[in-house]
Amino acid sequence: MAESRGRPGSAGQRPTGGDKAVLTGKKQYFRRKKVCRFCVEKIDDINYKDVKMLNAFIAERGKIVPRRISGVCGPCQRRLSDAIKKARNIALLPFAAVI
Amino acid sequence: MRIYEELFIIKPDATEEEIDQIIEQMQGVITHAGGTIDKMDKWGKRRLAYRVDKHREGYYVLIQFTAGPETVHELERRLRVTDAVIKFLTVRIDESLKLLEKKKKRREKRAHRKATAAPAPAQPSVAAQMLGTPLGMPEEAR
Repeated sequence: MAESRGRPGSAGQRPTGGDKAVLTGKKQYFRRKKVCRFCVEKIDDINYKDVKMLNAFIAERGKIVPRRISGVCGPCQRRLSDAIKKARNIALLPFAAVI
Repeated sequence: MRIYEELFIIKPDATEEEIDQIIEQMQGVITHAGGTIDKMDKWGKRRLAYRVDKHREGYYVLIQFTAGPETVHELERRLRVTDAVIKFLTVRIDESLKLLEKKKKRREKRAHRKATAAPAPAQPSVAAQMLGTPLGMPEEAR
């Protein structure tokens, strides 16, 4: 899905989420760079009726998944949250789900 | 005139005839005010994400139409009055449709440019070769 940036050993490339890098021992772990799903798959329309797609960006409790976790870009996240809120209004998505 | 989308939920215990009657009534409101129905879609019975008026299910109906803003006001009033309708949502979509069209066009343009840009460097090089040979020969001769 995404190109893995920052191979261990290449000094020039900065790993994303550097806190994950294990300092002790030789093994170093790097996070894969997150990319916006809508930009990569070239989805122009983020529609509130597409419940299947919106469900991927809803946490267990029905909350909107933050950008830092899902990796969605700024403009797309704005449109996505609008769509989710519309879907909630017409009972396609829950405001708060019980586990 | 603007393009709107009206999504509303009818009580699950309503009969087919009642549902058809409500839809017809709403379409009548739109056409009577000079609007046009572009699309009508019955989604059918769906589970609601949360309880609405003690209902766990609902019959979803989607109507896309072109009309003025006053028509929407009247339509919403009608929906609110109708007892069988438990929820509705009106979304104006003409601007987002326009934006989508723009994006699509830009994307196509870019793809087209990319497609033409790839063979383009090859063509001048062939042309340069053809041009280059007569020019190059005198150089070799010198």
